[in-house]
Amino acid sequence: NKMLSSEMCIHILVIVLFCCGSADSRKVRGISSSYKRFYREKKSFLCIDGSKLIPFEQVNDDYCDCADGSDEPGTSACPHGRFYCTNLGFRPHYIPSSRVNDGICDCCDASDEYNSHARCQNTCWNLGQRERAYVEGQMRTLDEGLRLKQQLIEEGVLLWREKQAQLRELQQVAEDLQIKLEEHRRKKREADRFKEQTLRALKGGDGGKSFHLKRILICLFCNPYSISLDEVKAEVVPVHDEERHLGDDEAMVRLKFLTINIRKVCWVLIWLQCSTKSRRMFCFLSDLQKKLAIDYGTDWEFLFLNGQCYKLKVYEYMYTLCPFNHITQKSTAGTEVTLTCGTETALRSVKEPSKCQYIMDFQTPVACQPVLKQRGVHSEL
Amino acid sequence: PFANNLKMAPVLVLWLAMCLGATWAVDRGNFKTCDQSAFCKRQRALKPGDSPYRALLETMELTNTRLTLQLINDNNKVRLLLELYRLQGNITRVKINELKPLKPRYEVPDVLIRDPPTEPLSVLSQDESGVVLSLGVESQRVIVSVRPFRLDIMEGHDVLMSLNSRGLLAFEHLRMRKDTGAQYTLVVFDFQATKEEEEKAEEGMWEETFKSHSDSKPNGPSSISLDFSLPGVEHVYGIPEHADDLKLKTTDNGDPYRLFNLDVFQYELYNPMALYGAVPVMLAHNAQRTTGIFWLNAAETWVDISSNTAGKTVFGKMLDYVQGSSEIPQTDVRWISESGIIDVFIMLGPTPKHVFSQYASLTGTQSFPPLASLGYHQCRWNYNDQEDVRSVDAGFDEYDIPYDFIWLDIEHTDGKRYFTWDPHKFATPKEMLQGLMDKKRKMVAIVDPHIKIDSNYKIHNEIRSRGFYVKNKDGGDYEGWCWPGNAGYPDFTRADMRAWWASMFAYDQYEGSMENLYTWNDMNEPSVFNGPEVTMHKDAVHGDWENRDVHNLYGLYVQMATADGLVQRSGGVERPFVLTRAFFAGSQRYGAVWTGDNAAEWDHLKISIPMCLSLGLVGISFCGADVGGFFKSPTPELLVRWYQTGAYQPFFRAHAHLDTPRREPWLFGPENTALIREAVRQRYTFLPYWYQQFYHAYRTGEPVMRPLWVEYTQDPATFAVDDEFLIGQNLLVHPVTEEGARGVTAYLPGKEEVLLSGLTSTPSRSTTIPVFQRGGSIIPRKMRVRRSSSCMEHDPYTLYAALNARGVAEGELYIDDGHTFNYEKKEFIHRRLSFSNNVLSSVNLVPDSHFTTNSWIERIVLIGSSKPAKVTLKTADGNESQLEFDFDASMSVVTVRKPGMNAGADWTVTLQ
Repeated sequence: NKMLSSEMCIHILVIVLFCCGSADSRKVRGISSSYKRFYREKKSFLCIDGSKLIPFEQVNDDYCDCADGSDEPGTSACPHGRFYCTNLGFRPHYIPSSRVNDGICDCCDASDEYNSHARCQNTCWNLGQRERAYVEGQMRTLDEGLRLKQQLIEEGVLLWREKQAQLRELQQVAEDLQIKLEEHRRKKREADRFKEQTLRALKGGDGGKSFHLKRILICLFCNPYSISLDEVKAEVVPVHDEERHLGDDEAMVRLKFLTINIRKVCWVLIWLQCSTKSRRMFCFLSDLQKKLAIDYGTDWEFLFLNGQCYKLKVYEYMYTLCPFNHITQKSTAGTEVTLTCGTETALRSVKEPSKCQYIMDFQTPVACQPVLKQRGVHSEL
Repeated sequence: PFANNLKMAPVLVLWLAMCLGATWAVDRGNFKTCDQSAFCKRQRALKPGDSPYRALLETMELTNTRLTLQLINDNNKVRLLLELYRLQGNITRVKINELKPLKPRYEVPDVLIRDPPTEPLSVLSQDESGVVLSLGVESQRVIVSVRPFRLDIMEGHDVLMSLNSRGLLAFEHLRMRKDTGAQYTLVVFDFQATKEEEEKAEEGMWEETFKSHSDSKPNGPSSISLDFSLPGVEHVYGIPEHADDLKLKTTDNGDPYRLFNLDVFQYELYNPMALYGAVPVMLAHNAQRTTGIFWLNAAETWVDISSNTAGKTVFGKMLDYVQGSSEIPQTDVRWISESGIIDVFIMLGPTPKHVFSQYASLTGTQSFPPLASLGYHQCRWNYNDQEDVRSVDAGFDEYDIPYDFIWLDIEHTDGKRYFTWDPHKFATPKEMLQGLMDKKRKMVAIVDPHIKIDSNYKIHNEIRSRGFYVKNKDGGDYEGWCWPGNAGYPDFTRADMRAWWASMFAYDQYEGSMENLYTWNDMNEPSVFNGPEVTMHKDAVHGDWENRDVHNLYGLYVQMATADGLVQRSGGVERPFVLTRAFFAGSQRYGAVWTGDNAAEWDHLKISIPMCLSLGLVGISFCGADVGGFFKSPTPELLVRWYQTGAYQPFFRAHAHLDTPRREPWLFGPENTALIREAVRQRYTFLPYWYQQFYHAYRTGEPVMRPLWVEYTQDPATFAVDDEFLIGQNLLVHPVTEEGARGVTAYLPGKEEVLLSGLTSTPSRSTTIPVFQRGGSIIPRKMRVRRSSSCMEHDPYTLYAALNARGVAEGELYIDDGHTFNYEKKEFIHRRLSFSNNVLSSVNLVPDSHFTTNSWIERIVLIGSSKPAKVTLKTADGNESQLEFDFDASMSVVTVRKPGMNAGADWTVTLQ
């Protein structure tokens, strides 16, 4: 007779509930209001997936008839069923039906443990209050965070514009330089050509004024061109050895011609002086371009993080996060940074789930999203 | 989207490197070959031939319980004393010791559960060439031959086993070192020794070095050896632990199988090297008979196996058979141990189940584990802190995967001081344990037997002040390196030490512990990082004995003391759960073992089957391998296959090395998560069956996970099968252990009984696990899988009856509270379920048992049944009611809907 007791219990329960005049709560147990239309008391019940028609008394009778589990929303009988916790005063939600009557309180309204040894209290009101307080706190944080974010956005926009202006300016300078450079290059090529010609002329021509020639060369071919001077010297030597004499006129013509040509060569020197400065400028320009190419968010709200570093000590280890820092560091492979909304910008936690794999929680106002606010408001409180 | 742009720079990330080498595979040079182990080399140099031993019949004494007889070595005149016992249950015990040893030789204590009860022996005939003794049953006789001495155990005209038939009985008698007490020694022991004999003082007798380690050997040579011949036997099994096939191989062309508990880093497969545990028990089987040899010796032991058919091909054997020229196949076995005495139990079967019960009568049966420990265990080196534990626990709920135990490895302690918690990472252990308890889950924390030498550590101070540490050869406390750095090793061979250790598990001693905290004993070979072969020096001293004598026992004692501690903390009410890595004969009494530090490789998955089968054969049923593999990182496919295999092995725990990426079941995409979930859930649906198997193992000593030949003793095709196995009698499992496999070919044994793939189908896509229910069996299952096994306690049963060709099926149902010792007071339900003549009935097997359950029968699935017209239930009070049912004609399956009777009641269900 013991074996019938569980069945009898259910029958008694059903009778009591009928006596009380309420609807058969066994039948509606574990169902959300939007699904109630499937469970109207009729002769038979059609599994929600349409797979099977069963007598209505087999709904929530602690035996799984429907493959989709829809006949047992209120018991643990079906392997993939789900139970709806109404949780009045808190948030309603579904739990897997395997958690019904397993001795663990899952629904805060205790509705999942209607036939177990667990003594569950209805904690929905408390939870709701705590949740409300929490959400309020979150909302405050969010409001503050959004305000700070707005500031940062404004600052970001200004900074962005400033940088953009700087960029444009630099680009203009660069353009000008580019043009000049082209010019210089052209002139250098010309000068080189003249130089070649001159040297060739010197080599093949008269050697009578060679003494003067050499002095002029020394004078004009100043330091940066010393190598070329050597070249010239080398070329000049055989000229010096020759016993031929030029007439004065001829010598002067030659000298004049040389002087003009050598002045042209001097353009090269100017270009050389420019080049280090321009290199620096180009470097700066490309750096700025790279920086500005990074995605700083739609409103450039993350721009302020560039160049900053944040530290956190976890147990005996010190962690440093430098956002946007592209310099590859040792053992940073597999670092995941999650951003959370907060009123301060700080590294909140670092976890190392497995060796050299890190998960960082980075809090900053710019991570605050109005979406969160909507969700918060939406919860049925 | 921004996370990708953020990089971090750890300014200071210090890790204490664990000296884990980058190269893979064992460093063989760290471990001795037989040639490098002086006694093994000496003994193995002795080849089969005429034994120098002669029985002195005039010294024979026969009492009611034993026969004693002296043996003399004609070469050196040293006398041995042979004791022969006939033990109850068809066991013969042969003990050989020196008649007058210079000092006592070690005899292994605490392994036998009692002095084995004897039966009378009687002399059938005697002349000057020998004696024939009756062994009582079945015309069994022992023939003691005088010159040379040998023993032959006969049944009828068949020789079952011969001892010293190859003349390899060798007993190195204790002696004084010649350069110290030479004259005395010469007179007493080597009086008639030839010059040859005298010169035999070989290298390695009084001192031996291996690598940089020196073994002082104050007692000199002391090894022993004996050979056994097994006519008609081609298959021998057992002597774990080795990473090798189930069927033992011949060792003629290599090293013998070695039994010496060692912490082998990254062990290699398919070789006879020693591993973490040692059970000196071998089983021999042929279609007619199963026998066993239990060599009770805890010293380093080597086992040589040779066979006269080993070299022959199948064709060669057939040719022999056709030509009638074949000699009888025979396997010869030789045991060699470094010290102690010869104490061997010959278990004469005749069936495998007789051998299991014979061995169980000597060393006890598998402890009956708490039901929850048969669930799934989630382990990792290491779950980092309480938050980590909480989030992994929550992960199982989120992904709806059941588990019962989460484990903490060494990092949970305060600086590897066991019995303590890291003050930062595990600041409030009771809070954590309570959180698990709220979900009816449990935890295991590691407690290793190396104790940090630190005067601020209570455990160390107490052990030191009580003098409980193992001593070195000079009398000081033995110290070695292990996880905490410099460590001492408590002398677990001492009963007073073990009692003290057990008391440390009391709730008021082990701070932060609660009743859902259980224990894991690792490194108990013991592992000594700077010791010879990564273990303790053999000349370390345990009271009167050297580690040489007791070595293989240490791990058993550690687990024994720990399990006692867990029992005592609950006042003797609750069953303990303790996992050990090192073990010996008898370790089955104290909990579970696992196969140590394996690797995430397909071959390691494969070897988990023969390794656990071998352990099961020698009594240790509660065996498992690290799911996923400890070293290295498994591919998702390997991980899934490993879960599918582990779900059908007795101890089911996932574990991973500190250096590997995380691998909780939900980290490999939804598809793999679903496969792992399904495997774990299948395990949980079978928990009633697993539990019943463990109850059976506890009662009988039969293995839970068993080779096919244990059930199909006369089918030679099963004798070497070790890629599939049985759980109990009724489930056959052929796990998929090949990468990329699309199917398996399972051998389904049995003649009359049709095996049905009642559970899953053979084509093994990754979604199916090839598991078969035996035709003729009934398996109770719980199909409502919940968060943990405790949550399923009151759930109803589904009975799966697979009918055989005769339309008959049988099974059992065992229920108790799942965690206390009350089953010893018969507080359980044990029923026989049987189906025949279209009637399924439940009958009480133990009428004086008393236990009530809320569980009921929710469904009966009859596989292989024809369609009935109606199904009626008749309860004990005579009430009859008609039951609804479904019939699936394509599979011939009748599903009876909600019969609803209590699982503990008498009832019949009739199909008409």
